[in-house]
Amino acid sequence: MDIHQVTHSLIMTSRLDGMGHLPIKVLKGVNGQESVALDPIGARPGDWVITIAFSAARTAAGDDKTLTDLTISGIIDDWSSQDC
Amino acid sequence: MKVFQVEKALVSTNRIASLDHKPLLVVREKAGAAPQVAVDPVGCKPGDWVLCVGSSAARDATGTKAFPSDLTIVGIIDRWESN
Repeated sequence: MDIHQVTHSLIMTSRLDGMGHLPIKVLKGVNGQESVALDPIGARPGDWVITIAFSAARTAAGDDKTLTDLTISGIIDDWSSQDC
Repeated sequence: MKVFQVEKALVSTNRIASLDHKPLLVVREKAGAAPQVAVDPVGCKPGDWVLCVGSSAARDATGTKAFPSDLTIVGIIDRWESN
């Protein structure tokens, strides 16, 4: 799993049914690259979170048929940019 | 598979239920590399050099079928000098 920081929410009204209804968040990785993930937890901008990728991301989103390859799976209790 | 060094335990109280209570560890390929998080079914301590498996094999390596993990520790290496 990787560590990201939530930057902001992504609003996407017209989306495929297979994506479900989970909120979508834009994330910044530890080395700055940007990615987008489904968020079943409800992380707020600025939170440091753990993300799961590949096929496990679909299970993490709650339903194996969810169309995602990256899902937020937890908010880290104490983490700061110095730890990266 | 890749070799990582265990840095510290990672606490995430607010997490998805399917992660249940498997321990999570912060691991790095070498000092200064980007930190990653691995599920630890073996029971490692900080400073151990471990071998981690990724993608779909990581799911079954945790002991639970189809567990949501994409990086799992499969063993502690006896001797390893990082170059």
